[in-house]
Amino acid sequence: MTAAFLFSAITLPLGCLFFAAGSIGLLRLPDLFTRLHALTKADNLGLGLLICGLLPWVESPWQGLKLVLIWLLVLLAGATGAHLVAKRALRGDGEDLQ
Amino acid sequence: MPAIVHRHWTTVLARGALFSLLWLILAGTDPWSWLIGLPSVALATHASLALSPPRRRRPRVLALLAFIPYFVAQSLRGGFDVALRVLAPRPRIAPGFIDYHSRLTDPAARVLFLDTVSLLPGTLGADMHGQRLRVHAIDTGVDVRPELIALEQRVAALFAREGHG
Amino acid sequence: MRTLALLAALALLASMSLGLIQVLRGPGAADRMMGVQLLGTSGIGVLLLLAVAIEQPALIDVALIFALLAAVAAAALTRRRLQEPPE
Repeated sequence: MTAAFLFSAITLPLGCLFFAAGSIGLLRLPDLFTRLHALTKADNLGLGLLICGLLPWVESPWQGLKLVLIWLLVLLAGATGAHLVAKRALRGDGEDLQ
Repeated sequence: MPAIVHRHWTTVLARGALFSLLWLILAGTDPWSWLIGLPSVALATHASLALSPPRRRRPRVLALLAFIPYFVAQSLRGGFDVALRVLAPRPRIAPGFIDYHSRLTDPAARVLFLDTVSLLPGTLGADMHGQRLRVHAIDTGVDVRPELIALEQRVAALFAREGHG
Repeated sequence: MRTLALLAALALLASMSLGLIQVLRGPGAADRMMGVQLLGTSGIGVLLLLAVAIEQPALIDVALIFALLAAVAAAALTRRRLQEPPE
């Protein structure tokens, strides 16, 4: 049992737990805005932990960087998406007002 | 274009280096991949200069490095907070909106602020009219303003202009 | 490690089926969209886990495309002017 394995044995299940919390949050929370809370936070943290857990096992540092890039993209998509969905729900439209 | 290159050659070099790094990550270290990579990097740099013209702003590398651990810590706190609320026998929520007047003047800084607000525990950046932000709070019983102010200061440090520290 | 990654991928698949319920239940387009977004992120997670578990690094590139599309999907939904009133 190596340290890297131990690290992954903690981060991977924890990541899955956050994904599960995100799904359960979507089902249990009463309205769109509270569901967005669960979705953005639990999801991004879930994927972040999964990627942390996988980093010791990739074949090359470039591949590791690619994983981090994927996380950044998802983070950006999640934060922007949450903001857009909330704005659309508030204004009934997604267009920016000046 | 050449005028831009001449006046802002550090920006052009920095962006070119960034896109080259991106290409290395995507395509790996095979030298032949640069056959496509070099034109791609050149076009990407050109597009980025056209879409986001260089501004007189020093890149704040140290501030960015200091921002990352804060960002990770807030993500963890925010994630645990919402997970515990959701998994409680009765979800502990008292949702509502908070209006927040931001002192950030840079539009890019405001967007970063609004996006990172969504990662703070209990808050979600919902809407923005200029400097007025509408934040959704999952629990209005908790005062989130101190956290918003702390985050705003960190974002302001990232975008500080030359001569302002 | 391969077993661990496979188990984690299985757990994620279970969580994805919960997300599918949300897509079916709605009620509004935005609620369904959130379900889809969750499926997308979980799908990325599954692909990355499988990439390590079955040693197929090409799956990482597939996950990268998923991540790029996820950024477009939410924008596409919200930028569209709907005929129906917003929920």
